[in-house]
Amino acid sequence: MFGISLGGVPTFVARAAESLKQNRLYKKKKILVCIFQRGAMDGLMAVTPFEDSFLKSARPTLFMEAGREKPLIDLDGRFGLHPAFKSFAPLFKEKQLAIVHGIGSPNNTRSHFDAQDYMESGTPFNKGTTSGWLNRAIGVMGHDASPFTAVSLTSSMPRSLYGTNEALAISNLNDFSLQVRENKFTQGLVANSFEDLYDETTSSLLKETGKESFDAMKMLQRADVKNYNPSNGAEYPKTALGKAMMQIAQLIKMDIGLEIAFAEHSGWDTHVSQGTLQGTFARSAADLSNSITAFWTDLGGDLQDDVTLMTMTEFGRTVKQNGTGGTDHGRASCNFILGNDVNGGKVHGLVKTLAIENLEDGRDQPVTTDFRAVFSEVADKHLLIRDNQILFPDWKGNAIGVMKS
Amino acid sequence: MNDSDVKFPYKEAGLTEREAAAHLLNRFTFGPTPHEVDKVVHQGLENWFLQQLSAKNNDDELNRMLQGYDALTMSNAEILKKYPGNAEIQKMAMEDGLMNKDSLAKGSQNKKKLMNDYRMDNGFGTYKQLYSQLINQKILRATYSQNQLQEVMTDFWFNHFNISLAKSSYGMFAISYERDVLRKNCLSNFEQLLLSTAKSPAMLQYLDNARSTGRNSRFGASKEETERRIEKLKNDTSATGRNMQAKLERRLNSGLNENYARELMELHTLGVDGGYTQKDVTEVARILTGWTVFPALREDDPARVKKLALFDSEKSKRLGFVHEGDFLFAINKHDDEAKTVLGKKFPAGGGYGEGLELFHLLATHPSTAKFISKKIAIHFVSDNPPQSLIDKMAKTFLEKKGDIKQVLLTMVQSPEFWSKDAVREKIKSPFELAISTMRILNTSSINRPDVLNRWITKMGQRIYFYQAPTGFPDNAKYWINTSSLLNRINFGLAVTSNRIPGLDYDLAALNDYKEPDSPENALEVYCKLLLPERDITSTVKRLTPLLNDPDLGKKVEKASKENVSNADDDSDDQKPMTPPTKKKTDNYTGSLSFNNSSSLKQVVGIILGSPEFQRR
Repeated sequence: MFGISLGGVPTFVARAAESLKQNRLYKKKKILVCIFQRGAMDGLMAVTPFEDSFLKSARPTLFMEAGREKPLIDLDGRFGLHPAFKSFAPLFKEKQLAIVHGIGSPNNTRSHFDAQDYMESGTPFNKGTTSGWLNRAIGVMGHDASPFTAVSLTSSMPRSLYGTNEALAISNLNDFSLQVRENKFTQGLVANSFEDLYDETTSSLLKETGKESFDAMKMLQRADVKNYNPSNGAEYPKTALGKAMMQIAQLIKMDIGLEIAFAEHSGWDTHVSQGTLQGTFARSAADLSNSITAFWTDLGGDLQDDVTLMTMTEFGRTVKQNGTGGTDHGRASCNFILGNDVNGGKVHGLVKTLAIENLEDGRDQPVTTDFRAVFSEVADKHLLIRDNQILFPDWKGNAIGVMKS
Repeated sequence: MNDSDVKFPYKEAGLTEREAAAHLLNRFTFGPTPHEVDKVVHQGLENWFLQQLSAKNNDDELNRMLQGYDALTMSNAEILKKYPGNAEIQKMAMEDGLMNKDSLAKGSQNKKKLMNDYRMDNGFGTYKQLYSQLINQKILRATYSQNQLQEVMTDFWFNHFNISLAKSSYGMFAISYERDVLRKNCLSNFEQLLLSTAKSPAMLQYLDNARSTGRNSRFGASKEETERRIEKLKNDTSATGRNMQAKLERRLNSGLNENYARELMELHTLGVDGGYTQKDVTEVARILTGWTVFPALREDDPARVKKLALFDSEKSKRLGFVHEGDFLFAINKHDDEAKTVLGKKFPAGGGYGEGLELFHLLATHPSTAKFISKKIAIHFVSDNPPQSLIDKMAKTFLEKKGDIKQVLLTMVQSPEFWSKDAVREKIKSPFELAISTMRILNTSSINRPDVLNRWITKMGQRIYFYQAPTGFPDNAKYWINTSSLLNRINFGLAVTSNRIPGLDYDLAALNDYKEPDSPENALEVYCKLLLPERDITSTVKRLTPLLNDPDLGKKVEKASKENVSNADDDSDDQKPMTPPTKKKTDNYTGSLSFNNSSSLKQVVGIILGSPEFQRR
């Protein structure tokens, strides 16, 4: 394909080219995109049980109403979507977007670090788990490996992707090139020198990885990632998340074996001045939903069939607002799942009225759906990973029907 | 063992003395400096190693470089005072009447500014500054310390007893953890090292033992009492009221926490196959209830004087409290009933002493001897060290009661250490790659360790931030993948094209300002300098075409006129604080088309990115 895979083990590029000819194997792959909302999103503000009078009185300056001339977008007569998430509303209506409310971890820690660690390792009671659940997923999908099988659009590897299966952490796809500050000619010379050197080495690991690196680099160069034009008029926010989502879309369109993509979104730790229509929460919510919908629009009809997107956050926030116009660390939150095989247009999960006797420790929305129930169902139905014991070794519960059966 | 009995069997393995010296330097330092092989040969390989083991070389020059870093010599109590967290800042500012509910509620921007101002006005530092001192000193120590083995071992033990700065509630303890616990004990005795980690605030917080309390403790408020107090505070919305409520709720939710107990056995001592059960984990956790951080640790905490008086009083000692520096054994949180671990009985009422017995049991256990020996062999010998070597080391470990120096000596006196299967078979970690580059170039100053650190992160190793208690995996497969390899290659190119600001090195000086008489000669000379005692034939052969194209000069010129640069700028690298020092190599005049400095730099950059330089 690029004139360098002469003999030896075919590289992933050669295999990709091969598979394109034969039934487009890569094309059949399913892709899971995960976004970790770091800081703990206030699920009760994102998707508000707006008829709950307990919530209303617990949040004198944060509570919003739904209905005519009212800010919240009424989803089903009981839950209202925060207006900054408005680009989600059509997706919900078309049943592509599902929401799970009351989701969280069985471990009641309210430490960001610990809760994220447990959620990402997939073992809420074991800190020593060496790998992340998404990395374990790479291992059981059984497809040919590509350097782009699992990609995290972050500067360092997230806990979710720690592990022995190869994953790529890269904040900018442009970094995937030889950085020679000269002209193209010199760059070519230098590239050839490296290829020769790595081809010659006695270490098979360095030799094979070297070959794959140079192939992958050329592939990205050909795709010209720098001058990417989103399709269908999609407009990504010019934010870190917007950029990350755009690059994930690029990788999907390049059709180079992506199966798991990861991005993160910070700014959800709203202890102070959380705001309502405006404020820190609304800003984050708009960024998240606009990045996701731009991504979805950019993919367009065909590719949407291959992709499921899921958000997650380490815990929710207190029912009661605090003294500084914000909310503190709580327990359950909600999450969003987008895709064509999602059982969408529904708020799943169990949310009882927020009367004090229904709260966990007398203060927090209780966790009624273990995050593992949802993550494993998505992995099972979308990625066809049947053996949930590998992803979530201690999990024995049931799916809640968030995916179409 | 008598020093004069120490003998390295490298000749038997077919290595020359120089090759053996290079192997020693590759494994027990962060990479050789120019001509260091000569020095080691001159000193005698065994003597050099023994000197490194005693770690008493003069480090005045390094210490001068570290002078500007104030936190490096502070105790935890002082660090807490000088570098308070946001919550403390907020509290102090509110107490001083400079912030109130309204100023906090007006918006986070305003709050940020108020807090920053308060910090500045009172001379407080931030966590970010604290962490960058820690990171910078690691880079400088690894590059410049004359006691290289001590730094290598400190790094090794940090990774073994890993903590992560990702969690801010104990990140500020990392400086003391590395200095007073790990570096101090890195070449001493394993039991002492283990016990020091167990009592350090960093580990107590990281693996939650600090808040693990026993069900059967003799003291402490009853559940009902705590619930009653929470109820009373329900309508108190003041900051103090809310803090108190949260504190009481935590107390209500507290109990046995097994995190530390599990990792203590699985990762720190016996190993996962070390022959313990889940029941043992619970029993160990029970023994360690009450092992916690001294409350009111901050030097200027108003409660400190009172707490010190309380816990140092005769009465407290009589009751069984133990206060040593930052550590507190709180008997009122200790489960005082009988326990059994690995078949050994710990009778009721053992208090602090049973913890010491437990650590002795674990530190001297045969499974621990094997597990630690293997881990050391993996780091210093190969990713798959021979069992025969591990057995020898484990035997020494047990006979010499965990003497780390003796275990290292056994390893380095074994033929397995010098075998062809071991030499240059380890792949450098990104940190090792970066530091070995600094050392082999004889870099005289690193003005921007933070930029170097960004590269190390980019290559796949965010030092001090590995989240899991396992530490970074220590094998080639973990470090080498498509993107990390590309970044490794780019690192060498970035160093030599001055894209890492603040590095002062002189390529011409490496060759004593002797001008190579041809490009081929230059290539060979620099390969030899940068890859001491390696077989460079293939590297030279592969790079020669780069020099021999007769039209090279013309082509380069033509192409640069077209000015089609595809190179990507490292836009996230901020401007250097100090302008990059003018390189003497800019005036370097070699000969032929190769003589211009940028060609030489390019070749050196390629050698640094070559597969041979990735190995140690």
